[in-house]
Amino acid sequence: MANIAAQRIKREFKEVIKSEEVAKCAIKLELIDDNYSELKGEIAGPPDTPYEGGNFVLEIKVPETYPFNPPKVKFLTKIWHPNISSVTGAICLDILKDQWAAAMTLRTVLLSLQALMAAAEPDDPQDAVVAKQYKENPEMFNSTARHWTNVYAGGPNKNPDFDQKIQRLTDMGVMSHDARVALSTYNWELERATEAIFT
Amino acid sequence: MDFVSTGGGSLVDNIFLLFNAYDWWVYYSKKEEKNLAKKEREEKMYDQAFEEILFSLDETPIYADSGGDQHNDGRDTNEFGADFETLQGLECLNMEQAKNLLNEHVDQLSSKLHISPSLAKLFLHLNEWNVSAIVTAYSKHTNAFLVDNRVKLAATAALGASAIPSAAACTDILPLSPSSSTSKSSTNASSPISCPVCTHPLPGDHFRSLTCGHSFCQYCWARHFEVQINQGITLDISCMASQCNILVPEALILTLLRPSLHEKYEAFAFRDFVSTHPSLRFCPGPNCSVVMRARESKPKRATCNACGTSFCFQCGIEYHAPTDCVVIKKWLTKCADDSETANYISAHTKDCPKCHICIEKNGGCNHMQCYHCKHEFCWMCLGDWKQHGSEYYECSRYKENPNIGRESAHAQAREALKKYLHYYERWENHAKSLKLESALVDKIKSRIHSKVMTSSGTWIDWQYLIEASTLLAKCRYTLQYTYPYAYYMQSSVSHYYTVISHIIPTGTWIDWQYLIEASTLLAKCRYTLQYTYPYAYYMQSSVSHYYTVISHIIQQYTYPYAYYMESSVSHSRKELFEYQQAQLEAEIENLSWKVERAETTDRGDLENQMDIAEKRRITLLKDFHLSSFSNPTKLDIPPQGGTTVPISTKDSSTASIQSEGEGVRSASMAPLSS
Ligand SMILES: [Zn+2]
Ligand SMILES: [Zn+2]
Ligand SMILES: [Zn+2]
Ligand SMILES: [Zn+2]
Ligand SMILES: [Zn+2]
Ligand SMILES: [Zn+2]
Repeated sequence: MANIAAQRIKREFKEVIKSEEVAKCAIKLELIDDNYSELKGEIAGPPDTPYEGGNFVLEIKVPETYPFNPPKVKFLTKIWHPNISSVTGAICLDILKDQWAAAMTLRTVLLSLQALMAAAEPDDPQDAVVAKQYKENPEMFNSTARHWTNVYAGGPNKNPDFDQKIQRLTDMGVMSHDARVALSTYNWELERATEAIFT
Repeated sequence: MDFVSTGGGSLVDNIFLLFNAYDWWVYYSKKEEKNLAKKEREEKMYDQAFEEILFSLDETPIYADSGGDQHNDGRDTNEFGADFETLQGLECLNMEQAKNLLNEHVDQLSSKLHISPSLAKLFLHLNEWNVSAIVTAYSKHTNAFLVDNRVKLAATAALGASAIPSAAACTDILPLSPSSSTSKSSTNASSPISCPVCTHPLPGDHFRSLTCGHSFCQYCWARHFEVQINQGITLDISCMASQCNILVPEALILTLLRPSLHEKYEAFAFRDFVSTHPSLRFCPGPNCSVVMRARESKPKRATCNACGTSFCFQCGIEYHAPTDCVVIKKWLTKCADDSETANYISAHTKDCPKCHICIEKNGGCNHMQCYHCKHEFCWMCLGDWKQHGSEYYECSRYKENPNIGRESAHAQAREALKKYLHYYERWENHAKSLKLESALVDKIKSRIHSKVMTSSGTWIDWQYLIEASTLLAKCRYTLQYTYPYAYYMQSSVSHYYTVISHIIPTGTWIDWQYLIEASTLLAKCRYTLQYTYPYAYYMQSSVSHYYTVISHIIQQYTYPYAYYMESSVSHSRKELFEYQQAQLEAEIENLSWKVERAETTDRGDLENQMDIAEKRRITLLKDFHLSSFSNPTKLDIPPQGGTTVPISTKDSSTASIQSEGEGVRSASMAPLSS
């Protein structure tokens, strides 16, 4: 069966390389090893979203039973999104679970993930903290996601206010990522984030 | 609601809160007891009303008790007798018999509709094995039926629709033949085409497709089936195309699947078939393969002939009347989640409230007597036992704080925990008592043995002692299962405030006071109405009168009021239930006390107590076993003699008592508001 998996990945890889999305730099696929069991994917943050201008790297592991079982995909780039864990990068998407079909391809997966970034589903959350903010405070969510895109995915929008708050915490010896997580969780309220870190 | 699990607070906070809640609870209970005398006066009339209602219920033909003295007569003769908890007409089938039974359905359907057995199985599995319903639906709207059952794509989505034959010849649409003959005219048997899944170029006759026309090579189909079956999926295997949900019929699976996997497939499929068949259940006993068959699915006790396991037929977990299946599941999950918390509180030892010596509970009875100072007190509330009165057992009833709707989230969480612990302690306490009392049975047996040896009576003379302890276990079991039920019963008082504060945007509480008054009035009407049913059952004309009266009242208020009204009903239901619960609680304590001191208790006295306890238990279970949520799903199986018990009209009003009542509300409202 592994043979079919390799066969399929080989063909899908070619398909993606030649696709118009690659031509437009929207998606990218790279082989990690020679036996086609692991790949690196890349998605450009969709326009008119807080992820615009960022580049998001994915880890793609191909199971032996591929394509009869879905590939295992997670974000390596840290991202602030209701359906993606801000801690592990794990993704909640139906086609990566029970809605997978053997006729789907890695291209389908990458394009579906791009669509998910453009339209989150907060009612089926992977990250409850992010989903709560998305629903209750969309403004705050947008600027937080934009800030994460800037810091982790090379997005263009700096947020001096946020950077300053993180600085305040790093000055106290907190790791910058931990500071960012705490501040993002508490809607950038410095006092509450500090309290959360030190208790 | 799950205060402990949702809270972001630290462990220390939680424990502190627990102590707080516990102290508060103890304080509250004691205070209650002091007020008891005063309360007793106030409640006397209320209790009298209840007593009358209970009395009138006892007099209805549903439960024609012959009186308390001759405790065995009467029970066996009425249809709501001693065995009303056991599901009647049960059969224990071995695997072969169960398979034959399923095959009978398959043959019946496939010959009626002229379809393949494989397709018939799929239809039966998806439609609760109801042959006549399938036949009706199929002949009325064949196309819609095929689409609903995932045999055919909806017309607009179909690929090469012209290739799909008319549904009348349904056997022919089965994808048994190579796709070259059923779909895609472009597929030519000689020129190789590439499979979309494995990418291999293969001659056209190696391809198969379902009615959707999505074509894949037979090797890929086989691998697809293998992967699915290894994940335990059998009847829900669908097409490999993206977003296509057409199901694969068994015939194609068995044609293409490796022979070595056939047995595994058949075993899993059998398991799935039994699980969708409404009158079949696997025995939940360990290593037991018996399939139980009932004529109707009810939340009653079923016992396996082969291994002796007893369970609730409807849901497969242990028998749990008067709590219903959904609620008991919720409760058991909750208890598992909160177990640490609750265990922390319900320790095995308590101090004697009078001399403060540490007492360990070593018997099942809550009526404690301090070995040191001989003070008699209640294990649950630590109050003086004499204050409990002989029949009114105040401490089984949880008092909700009526102002809770207006308090802070913090206070509400504390209240929620307090409420849970109240019920949990009692639930857990009965479970413990049950264990302790089963040890007591052994002790009694050995005591009888030594008595017989020393020639003080024969086994037959002492048999009543064993009967008494068996009955005690049965009663305590029921009582244990009343607590999850009571826990989830909505109390209307707090409910009013929450709901009103949600929907009322303006005005003060005083402005809207009339709503509460209206609800209270409605509650009174409903309450009366409800208890007129046994009477009205025999006086048809008066029923319509009550309907007219109540629908007048309803018409005066618009939709939201119906909501309160239902909660009012559950409020009065709750009170009645709690009363019945308290009664059983009291009688069981008396019985437990007497059984533990059996040798010094008068035999007649003990038997009288047994009789009373069993009577209380039956009263409490009566509603459960007669109400509409335990209404059997009518099955498509010919009756094997015997008649079903008619369900009285009373059901429509008692429906509202089940669990949280969300879905039920409309059901019981329907006849009134329409
Ligand atoms: Zn293939
Ligand atoms: Zn299909
Ligand atoms: Zn069994
Ligand atoms: Zn059940
Ligand atoms: Zn004492
Ligand atoms: Zn008590």
